[in-house]
Amino acid sequence: MKGFDALLFGEELRYSEDHEWVSTSGETFQVGVSDYAQDQMGDIVYVELPEVGQTFAKGEQFGTLESVKAVSELYLPVGGEIVSVNPALADSPEQINSDPYGSWLVTIKPSDPEELERLLSVAAYRQLLQG
Amino acid sequence: MAELPAAGLVDLGRRDYQACHRLQLALVERRRRGGAEDDLFLLTEHPPVFTLGRRGGQENLVVAAEELARRGIGLHRVERGGDITYHGPGQLVLYPILHLGQAGLRVAEYVGRLEELMLQLAAGCGLAVGRDHRNRGVWVGDRKLGSVGVAVRHGVTYHGLALNIDLDLTPFSWVNPCGLHGVAMTSLSRELGRQVAPAEVKKALVALLPAVFHREVNLLSGGLPHDAACFSPCSGDACHSSTEVR
Repeated sequence: MKGFDALLFGEELRYSEDHEWVSTSGETFQVGVSDYAQDQMGDIVYVELPEVGQTFAKGEQFGTLESVKAVSELYLPVGGEIVSVNPALADSPEQINSDPYGSWLVTIKPSDPEELERLLSVAAYRQLLQG
Repeated sequence: MAELPAAGLVDLGRRDYQACHRLQLALVERRRRGGAEDDLFLLTEHPPVFTLGRRGGQENLVVAAEELARRGIGLHRVERGGDITYHGPGQLVLYPILHLGQAGLRVAEYVGRLEELMLQLAAGCGLAVGRDHRNRGVWVGDRKLGSVGVAVRHGVTYHGLALNIDLDLTPFSWVNPCGLHGVAMTSLSRELGRQVAPAEVKKALVALLPAVFHREVNLLSGGLPHDAACFSPCSGDACHSSTEVR
């Protein structure tokens, strides 16, 4: 496992306690998994993501990442409708390992954009990981 | 990392697959709200049943699903990684309910430890087995002795390993196990040419757990923790996550 000092963080991102990150671009939010999460899972071999148009509540499972015979569940940090799914990940899921903050999983139209404020700041997320 | 408190272990005996599955989901929820002392190993064996992994694998079932139904054998799709597999009496199944992050374990390391446990169990019976990093599990040459299939929910593991001790291997011939073609399944009894008692291996497994997971493991003789029932296994989406495939 990477030591805490080796972990990468996106300074402008917000985080969930389940190690997903959220970035904002206008009215939509992008969602991905943190460097800690990808390091935890190891080599990701398969990505299962929802269909565009599906809606999920905050905290609801919206997909999975599969590594070495292990399936890790993903939860949406902010409720909303899926407006796009990263098309590159189906063929090269390993991108998530090499570039976790560049490899967004889904873009959502949040049902309540205010929910973003209740996610962790990078400082709070660092603190969570440091225990 | 601070030393981990002892984990519990419950021997469920022979238990229906779906009942065990519901129990696991309830215990994952309990562990999620609890601490490292709530980490738990469930030991069981199942009546005959086939399960499909998250990505399916029904195309690897080489007999008709109706044929299984006629024999009274269930077929369920579940959350774990891996493809189709078979469980039956004489196969040892271990479902660890552990918080990986709090145990300082990466998923791949955890899968490695499940394999390590099976390697040491086989070695203890006098059988040399190996790993194959492309096809996880434990192998005797090109014959598969034990399988791993794991799921992680909010950082907590469920599903686990299945080690063939002494069982009728015929049902494996109805599938391409784990989605692999031309793979034969084997058992400790078959490889050793003597009947190995599952109880004997179970005892060895309980003795090995502390060394493999670097912590004490207490056998909970009173059965499941008394508060396990508080986490209703049938709330929310839990009931839909193991679906009968027919």
